[in-house]
Amino acid sequence: MISKTEESQLNRLENQVDNGGGGAWEYLCLVRKLKVRRSEKVLKHGLSILNDAKQRSALGPEEWTLYEQLALAAMDCHCPDVAKDCIKVLQKKFPESKRVGRLEGMLLEAKGSWAEAEKAYSSLLEDNPLDQVIHKRRVAMAKAQGNVSGAIEWLNKYLEIFMADHDAWRELAEIYVSLQMYKQAAFCYEELILSQPTVPLFHLAYADVLYTLSGLENLQTAKKYYASTIDLTGGRNTRALLGICLCTSAIAQLSKGRNKEDKESPELQSLAATALEKDYKQRASDKLSLLTSALRSLKI
Amino acid sequence: MGLGFIVGVFGVLILSHAAYSTIQYRGLLKIMEEEFSGPPMNVVLELLLGFVFCIWAALTVPGNFHSIHPDSEENRIVSLSANLDFMIFNHRAKAFPLEIEMKLKH
Repeated sequence: MISKTEESQLNRLENQVDNGGGGAWEYLCLVRKLKVRRSEKVLKHGLSILNDAKQRSALGPEEWTLYEQLALAAMDCHCPDVAKDCIKVLQKKFPESKRVGRLEGMLLEAKGSWAEAEKAYSSLLEDNPLDQVIHKRRVAMAKAQGNVSGAIEWLNKYLEIFMADHDAWRELAEIYVSLQMYKQAAFCYEELILSQPTVPLFHLAYADVLYTLSGLENLQTAKKYYASTIDLTGGRNTRALLGICLCTSAIAQLSKGRNKEDKESPELQSLAATALEKDYKQRASDKLSLLTSALRSLKI
Repeated sequence: MGLGFIVGVFGVLILSHAAYSTIQYRGLLKIMEEEFSGPPMNVVLELLLGFVFCIWAALTVPGNFHSIHPDSEENRIVSLSANLDFMIFNHRAKAFPLEIEMKLKH
């Protein structure tokens, strides 16, 4: 979960390091802490630190974490030689280490030799059958080979044992959405919201899935979750504001024939529309006319 | 920061001087065998002054306070961390090799 201050700090450090102003080690630590995927920059700046003997010795015992981070970034940027060198250095320092064994498995994965990677992972799992990361790597491998149903099967088995792993629930939800299995995706998002109720992006994703499922109750629940997203982000999430407008108009269309007591007050939609117009005027004033025409067509 | 620190030290000194005066006043009352109803007026004024100085220093010396609202401009969550446990490596970047040859030189 990356907050606005952390994001601006990351961008500032990135600009600073890219323009040659030092601070590469702080940048790499921040990338590791926030778990963002900036593999090219990590590779470039990590190599600049490690190829310089003085800077390398200044790191002390943190050097090995940097080797690991660099190996992963090299695999992501398709430089298997760099990754192989890093893993060799780590193997020399930590022989018989599970973490290094895992990196070797990932290198085999990156090279595309799926069968050997599967063998490596199974042997690691024999010694330690409850290693969470190896289980997750097997799921990732199934996904990478295009075997999405196999990935779902592995992931469900994993989640039966490790029910509290919210990264896995998130991955499962995304896989279900990619396969258009929205009911199951809604279930996964519900689990995520239960475990982490203060992250507005899960509320937003859940509301999106419910809106896609459609149907009167789903639309009403989606509207509630868009509203909670707006609450948790202080009204700055444009997608949630648009979601409220769309939900209200969809509900109005669905319940046109029925003579229900009109408990849907139009205030929420007009408030959201005003907030949207203010936001657009401030940030993208040339697109304001598009927005007003779209909102006008929704109100009908 | 320097001024706040000095004011804080000054406030603590005033408070300790007020405490010392009260103790001396009680000693004097014991000699004169009277009841100790409360410290004299000037000590109370000194106490209030020291209190104001210490509070002002305590608020200014630490610097900017962080916001605690989860929906404030600084604290709001803008994106989720990339799910690195499920990272896959056969993505389209294979078609865009890096311009510079990267090598680990040792």
